[in-house]
Amino acid sequence: MRVSKWSERLFGTPIFDPVVATSFLFPLLYLISFLIIPVLAMLAIAFVYNGHFSLHWFGSILGSDYYISLPSGDFYKLVTLPSGEQIYYVQGVDFGVILNSLLVSLSVMLLTTILGTIFAFVMARYNFPGKNIVRILLFVPLLVTPFVNVFIVKKMFLPNGLINWLFYDILHIFPHRIVIDGLVGVIIAQTMTYYPIVYLNAYASFINIDPTLEEQAENLGSGGFHLFRTVTLPLALPGIAAGATLVGIFSLEDLAAPIVFQGNPLARKLMSFQIYSAFTSGFNVGSPQLAALAIIMLTIAILMFLGIRKYVSMRQYAMLSKGGRWKPRIAKPKAWQAALIYFLVIPMLLISIFPQVGVVLLAFSESWSGTWPEGFTMQHIMSIVTQPDIERVIMNSVMYSTAAIVVIILLSLTAAYASSRFKKSLLGPVLDSLSTLPIAVPGIVIAMGYFFFFAKAFPDTLLDPTNLLGFNPALVLVLAYSIRRLPFAARSIAAGIQQVHVSLEEAALNLGASRWKALTGILIPLILLNLLGGAMLSFVYCMSETSVSITLGSINPDYYPITARMVELMTSAVGSANLAAALGVFLMTVQIIAIVLANLITKQRYSFIGLT
Amino acid sequence: MVDVKLENVVKTFGDTVALKGINLYIKAGELFTLLGPSGCGKSTTLRIIAGLDFPDSGHIYFGNEDVTYLPSSKRGAVLVFQNYALWPHMTVFDNVAYGLKLRKLPKEEIKRRVEWALELVKLKGYENRYPTQLSGGQQQRVAIARALVVEPKVLLLDEPLSNLDAKLRLEMRSEIRRIQRELGITVIYVTHDQEEAMAISDRIAVMNVGTVEQVGTPRDIYERPKTEFVASFMGKTNVIPAKVVERTGDRVTVEFDGIRLDGLHYTGKEDEVVIVIRPERVKLKPVENAISISGIVDLVEYYGFFIEVVGLFGEERRIIARTISDRDVEGLKPTQPVTFYVNRDDVIILPRQKR
Ligand SMILES: Nc1ncnc2c1ncn2[C@@H]1O[C@H](COP(=O)(O)OP(=O)(O)OP(=O)(O)O)[C@@H](O)[C@H]1O
Ligand SMILES: [Mg+2]
Repeated sequence: MRVSKWSERLFGTPIFDPVVATSFLFPLLYLISFLIIPVLAMLAIAFVYNGHFSLHWFGSILGSDYYISLPSGDFYKLVTLPSGEQIYYVQGVDFGVILNSLLVSLSVMLLTTILGTIFAFVMARYNFPGKNIVRILLFVPLLVTPFVNVFIVKKMFLPNGLINWLFYDILHIFPHRIVIDGLVGVIIAQTMTYYPIVYLNAYASFINIDPTLEEQAENLGSGGFHLFRTVTLPLALPGIAAGATLVGIFSLEDLAAPIVFQGNPLARKLMSFQIYSAFTSGFNVGSPQLAALAIIMLTIAILMFLGIRKYVSMRQYAMLSKGGRWKPRIAKPKAWQAALIYFLVIPMLLISIFPQVGVVLLAFSESWSGTWPEGFTMQHIMSIVTQPDIERVIMNSVMYSTAAIVVIILLSLTAAYASSRFKKSLLGPVLDSLSTLPIAVPGIVIAMGYFFFFAKAFPDTLLDPTNLLGFNPALVLVLAYSIRRLPFAARSIAAGIQQVHVSLEEAALNLGASRWKALTGILIPLILLNLLGGAMLSFVYCMSETSVSITLGSINPDYYPITARMVELMTSAVGSANLAAALGVFLMTVQIIAIVLANLITKQRYSFIGLT
Repeated sequence: MVDVKLENVVKTFGDTVALKGINLYIKAGELFTLLGPSGCGKSTTLRIIAGLDFPDSGHIYFGNEDVTYLPSSKRGAVLVFQNYALWPHMTVFDNVAYGLKLRKLPKEEIKRRVEWALELVKLKGYENRYPTQLSGGQQQRVAIARALVVEPKVLLLDEPLSNLDAKLRLEMRSEIRRIQRELGITVIYVTHDQEEAMAISDRIAVMNVGTVEQVGTPRDIYERPKTEFVASFMGKTNVIPAKVVERTGDRVTVEFDGIRLDGLHYTGKEDEVVIVIRPERVKLKPVENAISISGIVDLVEYYGFFIEVVGLFGEERRIIARTISDRDVEGLKPTQPVTFYVNRDDVIILPRQKR
């Protein structure tokens, strides 16, 4: 065998091996083709004015009051209803599209951090009767029911909704009924949707703190809040911050909340909605100004992503205690702490899972105009199997998602194999960053990039979105799903590979096996369960993908995925929300089955989403 | 500076009884060592003294004060953890200053005392480093400084030298001894290294599966072990099971493998005994008042500053003699016949421990 200098540099092995090279090149080329190039296609348009390179479009955005302005409007109004009753109508103030998005994102980060950290601390540090139920309930808000859960949040805050019924009619805490709408509605809905992400990250951080670090502080005289402030919180902060940043990015790219609250013009003045509405109105998707806006949005998301990565990598505390015994610090709450848990924390939890509960109620009810739904019916659920258009969207989604997970598994297997087994290579770190990068690329930006890319590269074919009814989104959606969901599967599989010691493969190689044999005969069987677990979770998240599905996916009704139909139902005539809720229940069921199976098969608790 | 008393301390973890009723008295200002094999309950004892765990029953006193249920933060018994437990998000300075800030001392005073403590452990100039930027030995010294700086009533050290290399261990050992003497604090020191315990301690308690087997000065423990466990735990020892066959006053004759040794001191009731002889008391030349054991040479091992001769005798029994003199072993070769001599006063007979 010849020693090859460039194989060593690029792939980290001095003897060129086609299996190793493929493991690097396949995911790399895929990510370049379907993530980097579409984004570049957008750059090419945004930076050109009158045939020349120019910052014109960025200037026109940043200089416009519509995008950045001083605050205008009232944060809330006291409105008098026809009945003579007064209510607070809370909507937020307008800072222009870009600042609105930023402020919403920051507010959601702040609120989810508070909620998630409190829940995590209680769960990590206290044993109280009912804890196991709480642990399960905390997973409920993670169930994705696009649009419908936000619809329920909106309902909760109507004058006769659950919140006003509870806090005005029964507890008399509110001085007037409170209705939320506009940006505040978006913030509340996103907070309720995303706080479990902070919770999971914060919980993991609290659990991983070496107990002796806190014991030492106590031993030196600390305790109570001082201990939390000086030792516990700083040590958990990297994890909490990572969760919060992920939420910030999700909030930035979220479409569900602005779409549901779009009746209020303020809710439309968000970056994500601005780009989305171009797709629905069909006019100016190709507009360079919109491309510039997408690039601004992308830049913000990527800066957040890089910022947190830098911060976390600086503060990765290896906390493996040497020698000492691991005695987790779980205590019985004192009386006042128990009171807080039962009268504040658990009620907050119950309110936060109400959207998911409400989706189920909505799906099984005839009407819902008061505080509670009325009239039990199976009709909406039955439509799933009887109504041909519903059946079709489900079949479409299953097909797209199945194809996507095959690709995702191939991508994450090769990428994780390459970057964790050949660390010293030049391409390893590149591959590592590229395969987590999709977290930081808003879905709507991918949709837009794909629009430009496929319209330019394949004009007047099945792949050209401007071809409208001549457009078949199948391939485009599979590509988008596989790119967007890659980071989550890749992490689970990389974790699996890291648990298999290299020496197991080396022993096989040493006995004369080829790399291919060692990979397929040793490594893959050993991480089969991780692969299966990763595949199931990716499937769930492909099925519930929204951004690309409701833009490129909703051009041609014949090829709608589930979420495209759901958004259509949510934004059309009264009564069809029930059918959307039925689809929501279907999606939740799929998620619960997949997650339970994944946990059973891999015998490890799946933390769904994390960063770093 | 305070004396510490443990009274019938019992601690269980689920089914494991970690401490089976411990009684200890530690004098004010002494360096007291808990010595014993892994899992015998040393750390548990220390954690209970520190107030990090509470006993199922029994009491702990500091002086006359019953501190059994006093929270750790109020107790003033500062523990240096087996794993140092340095806070990774704080600099060396902040780690050491932590306890002082809690005591609300003025800034100047804190700075002065941190400097003093870091000087004491020879870490001046490292104030702004983070723990991950320090070597194992340096981390250990920061942990010790952090505990010392608050002037604890009792300093508790849990295997503080276990992660150091041999040379640093020796250095730190005398360093701890020096600091303890200088400040005159009560120190309870945990180790499973008998040599370390001997070198550093005023007194030692030897522990075995949740009980204290013997308390005494290093010399006591080494030369007058009270149980078979203590005898065999304190370094390499010849232990030969035997049976008492004759008693005259406090002298007995014991027998094993048909070999009889007479005139040995023993006052115990049990007839099933072990003969314990330290290797350095086994001589290769006749001595007065000696018993003699004949066999053949199995091995001659050269350790540098001493030499060991391993003999085989009786039914596959081994006896080790240790000498510092080359002349003693001159001409000794494996399989050659040899006779070992031991002064009767150097033979210890102890009741055999049930296994
Ligand atoms: N938190 C705990 N939960 C369950 N068992 C425990 C716990 N802490 C200690 N034990 C048990 O109590 C016994 C004594 O443990 P301890 O840590 O005191 O031993 P040690 O003498 O310090 O050992 P080492 O030299 O290995 O540190 C052991 O059997 C141990 O398994
Ligand atoms: Mg221990």
